[in-house]
Amino acid sequence: MNQENLKLFSSFVIIMILQIFIFNNMNLFEIINPSFYLLIFILYRTTFNKTSLILLGFLAGIIIDLTSQSYGCHTIAAITVCYMRGLIENYCFGVKANLGKAMLSGVPLFNRITFFLIIILLHQLIYYSLIFFSFNFIDTIILYTLLNSIITFIVIWTITKIFYDIKR
Amino acid sequence: MQSIINSIIKYRNLIIYLLLLFFSFNNLYNKSGLHFSKIETISISIAGFSANIIDDFKSYFDLINENELLKKENLILKKNELENYRNNTIPKSESLFPYTISANVVRNTTNKNRNFILIDKGSNDGVSIDRGVINSLGIIGIINNVSNDYSSIISILNSDLKINAIIERSSTIGSLYWDGYSPKKMILSDIPYSNQIKIGDTIVTGGMSFYFPKGIPIGSISNYKTNITEGYFEIEVSLFNDFSSLNNVYILDKLDNEQINKLISN
Repeated sequence: MNQENLKLFSSFVIIMILQIFIFNNMNLFEIINPSFYLLIFILYRTTFNKTSLILLGFLAGIIIDLTSQSYGCHTIAAITVCYMRGLIENYCFGVKANLGKAMLSGVPLFNRITFFLIIILLHQLIYYSLIFFSFNFIDTIILYTLLNSIITFIVIWTITKIFYDIKR
Repeated sequence: MQSIINSIIKYRNLIIYLLLLFFSFNNLYNKSGLHFSKIETISISIAGFSANIIDDFKSYFDLINENELLKKENLILKKNELENYRNNTIPKSESLFPYTISANVVRNTTNKNRNFILIDKGSNDGVSIDRGVINSLGIIGIINNVSNDYSSIISILNSDLKINAIIERSSTIGSLYWDGYSPKKMILSDIPYSNQIKIGDTIVTGGMSFYFPKGIPIGSISNYKTNITEGYFEIEVSLFNDFSSLNNVYILDKLDNEQINKLISN
């Protein structure tokens, strides 16, 4: 258990450093900044405590907010994703989804993709709704959400394929 | 007790989530100007709508008092009209204090350090921010935020506001502020010790601001302290208005602002 905690902590630190120093400053086509740190919430073991996941989400969100001057938008999106993760798990993997790293191995590809996409889309939608905060910008919100979600998905999917599948 | 603790443990995730969400929104509201103004506009609309329903009931039961007040106001106006007619001094402009919009107060507080008033007219009725608000007895405040159908006013009973005022008899200029204690009293400061003041002197607006023209009544001097070391009086002013029972208010027009702004920018 302690080893698991240490693993979680070290991957949290590495992912946050990558997010703050690389992905926050990417600004691809002036629009795209992938939210790579969502990987923390995706990799979080389903058997672990849900309460600490929400607190972890809050911690991650507030660090990103402080470094990117988004005043709480990342925090709200992150804690909502963490709170909803139980529901998303049940939807994607069925009710008995307590299989450890179920989302990485041992489940059909389609379920894994759905799980990744729902978490990323939900986060991006909340984040950009809060950033623009107006019904007049609904088309811009949808455009930003879709583009950023696609790039975030590609980045996260590639990283999990390279690092976590090799380990397995 | 056990069942309460059990339900708290059962719903701990929801409770923690809601607490963190509240904290984050509070952060967003306080730090970001865009979110502050958007949330403020939404909250004015909601508060206005709910307060309007309550106010409809209240104003119905308050009609007798309101009628009395209007009768008194009418009497004074008639008297003035007659006097002007006799003296042939009817002013050129139709009204001394130009206003085109009258509104009803739907929510009002007097028990806080920073009090705000909500009225039932908004940008659809032509109300805009930074306009002075008065009623028949004196000044009320300045409009600070506007939604489609409602507006919020910074009451003069707000410790952030300072108003330029003069003693009518001697035209001495001072500044009026609220110390946060009694909703019937304000403090007039910056009156030099060399001036003579009397209890009962009337205080009116000084006219050195964009918000209020000169000569709108505010209150009368009820007490004063001499502070010889600083060389200024600290004057207690009894307001003519009773802020606990406000109803009809008038929103002043801003006629010369553009010209004044142009002159300042030149």
